[in-house]
Amino acid sequence: MPSALLELENVHCGYGQTSVLHGVTLSVPEGSIVSLLGANGAGKTTTLRAITGGVHWLGDIRFAGRSLRGRHTEDIVGEGIAHVPEGRGILTELTVDENLRLGAHKRKDRDAVRKDYDRVFEYFPVLNERRWLSASTLSGGEQQMLAVARALLMKPRLMLLDEPSLGLAPLVVRSIFEIIRTINQTDHVAVLLVEQNARLALELSTEAYVLEVGRVAVSGKSAELQGQESVRRSYLGY
Amino acid sequence: MQELIQQVVSGLASGAIFASLALALVLIYNAMGLVNFAQGEMAMFATFIAFTLIIHGLNYWIAFPLTLGIAFVAGVVIERVVIRPVERAPVLTLVIVTLGLATLVNGAAGFLFGYVPRSFPSPFSVQTINILGAFASFQDLSVIAVCGIVLIAIYLLLQRTTIGLTLRAAAHHPEPSRLLGVRVSWMLALGWGLASAVGAVSGIMVAPILLLEPNMMQTIIIYAFAAAVLGGIESPLGAVVGGLIVGLTVNLAGAYVPFVGGDLELAVALAIIVGVLVIKPNGLFGRAAVRNV
Repeated sequence: MPSALLELENVHCGYGQTSVLHGVTLSVPEGSIVSLLGANGAGKTTTLRAITGGVHWLGDIRFAGRSLRGRHTEDIVGEGIAHVPEGRGILTELTVDENLRLGAHKRKDRDAVRKDYDRVFEYFPVLNERRWLSASTLSGGEQQMLAVARALLMKPRLMLLDEPSLGLAPLVVRSIFEIIRTINQTDHVAVLLVEQNARLALELSTEAYVLEVGRVAVSGKSAELQGQESVRRSYLGY
Repeated sequence: MQELIQQVVSGLASGAIFASLALALVLIYNAMGLVNFAQGEMAMFATFIAFTLIIHGLNYWIAFPLTLGIAFVAGVVIERVVIRPVERAPVLTLVIVTLGLATLVNGAAGFLFGYVPRSFPSPFSVQTINILGAFASFQDLSVIAVCGIVLIAIYLLLQRTTIGLTLRAAAHHPEPSRLLGVRVSWMLALGWGLASAVGAVSGIMVAPILLLEPNMMQTIIIYAFAAAVLGGIESPLGAVVGGLIVGLTVNLAGAYVPFVGGDLELAVALAIIVGVLVIKPNGLFGRAAVRNV
């Protein structure tokens, strides 16, 4: 069994008095795609926020074998985790190009950055067309592309994607998911994918966890979960 | 006609000074949604530092950048020591803190340097030069040039460098910026440092015109507020344009509107503030505020 890149062990956390996660344990193996499913309010977004230090947590979160306890978001991100947050985190005051530059701004390997730029524009030609425009002029789908492109430019070992399909047309979602798969395969970037669209997420991922009110209710190989009608009916709603 | 051109040039010179201080206000407003009421006092203190360096024999053109460097470091330190502990406090708390800071800096200047007004040396000759048949004072033109260079330098820093990019990102979108590895907290400190240095330029430029004393900047800061509000408090470009407009308006009104004279010039600035807030609250270059309610 390959060692896990990201491990959450009995993670508890909440906002103020409200506790949201009641002991979440999951792991993302190196180079894999894992989906994190569940209804609204199950704690999917909070799980991602805990990983990048956006909320205070108890238990343990380890990345590449090292605990992330007490570390600041900026440092965690620097270790190689690209987090595309809920709402995509586009900096709408800035141009498309400036958003992309921010993704790569910590990198020293300039030649590789240039190559990654080329790849990003190959994946998402529309970003090249809109490169010098304000990011606020992009459509929802284009903003999602920008968010993924920017994450790629961070040269991460792990991408956390929070509902990349939200509010997008099915065709756009398809093409974005295809590119996520390509990035996963060519760069061996592991992906932890939070999705409401369970059908698509299970197709893309190899393993899946289903959260229910802050706990892992079901987990297993994506293909197996897809096959179990009871799981699909009770937790995934399709 | 000749007199008009002279008045315009000297209006632009005052405007350039207001613009520098207004830009300092905008830099901090952008970074933390806060008007720094201590900006003028910090500029005044920096001017005293420049003065001290110069009377101890340092060349003006060495003392000037050196002072800006000191002001920058002081701005960073002030943010770390005074502002950082209340960074997440309500705006009113922050306003009170900057007002306290203003009083503190003012008092410290009085304690250290005294309240006797001193004449500040100017490196520019008081001669007038002839441009296209009109006479403009060399002093005014030099002030415009120096402020212009500083403002362009700030523009290039913000727009053309990676550090400027991260500064703007942190100012407008702190949370997403953090996820991209931007050290938002340090960017705030850097913003204070820059603001402090730009503000110092206004102090050093205005000191030869007024006299240097601890209350020197108290009218200038009102003009700078007017400029920042006119330009749209979030827009660096607006601060510069606003500064020039306020400088021109005040100067021309003082010269040509009989009852304004020299006494009511400050009232003109206040009228601009009130007028802008009533007619176009977002200023010339500001965008309409969008809030989720």
